[in-house]
Amino acid sequence: MLPLSLLKAAQGHPMLIELKNGETYNGHLVNCDTWMNVHLREVICTSKDGDRFWRIPECYIRGNTVKYMRVQEEVMEKAVEEQKKYRRFGQGRGGRGGRGGRGRGNERGGYRGGRGGNRGYGNRG
Amino acid sequence: MSHKQSAVELAKFVDKGVHVKLAGGREVSGTLKGYDQLLNMVLDDAVEYLRDPEDMSRVTTNTRKLGLVVCRGTVVMAVSPTAGIEEIANPFTAQMQQPAE
Repeated sequence: MLPLSLLKAAQGHPMLIELKNGETYNGHLVNCDTWMNVHLREVICTSKDGDRFWRIPECYIRGNTVKYMRVQEEVMEKAVEEQKKYRRFGQGRGGRGGRGGRGRGNERGGYRGGRGGNRGYGNRG
Repeated sequence: MSHKQSAVELAKFVDKGVHVKLAGGREVSGTLKGYDQLLNMVLDDAVEYLRDPEDMSRVTTNTRKLGLVVCRGTVVMAVSPTAGIEEIANPFTAQMQQPAE
């Protein structure tokens, strides 16, 4: 389970985000990205000391200011489902590992990644 | 690459009022005139919400005029439209009160 997969699965769900400065944001996650920037709707912002509150219709939070995020327990189950679906879809050459796309572009006949047997010879005819 | 796309879409806020929280505690609001992918922003008629000198974590309703400013993206923490922001009473107390047994 990757942190960003869980965050992605939390889209549409309510969540709590605490920033490094101690402020917390409660709202529905609309969108997120690989930098952990998030877009929240129907937000309640709580001050660091917890005695002032603001209602904010929508808000973007920059990923690098986040301390932690709390998500609902259900989101975990959803994330596990998504993960299974993804595995089935990309069987054998998933997003991580496998044949790396970088760095050995002009190497011929040598090691061509872990799988695929004699593929290197088939291309020569 | 689709997964390198930012979740932040500031286009819809152009020429509208935005409220920006900056690292270090300053809060600024103004009319969004321009922005880039790094979250640098140009704000027109910007005002800064001053903080209580006794308690620098507490923002007040007192403002000072800044005029036309460029907010550096690296120090932007949160961006929201000015419209609809309101200070409210504690909305969580209702949930915290447990029925007496």
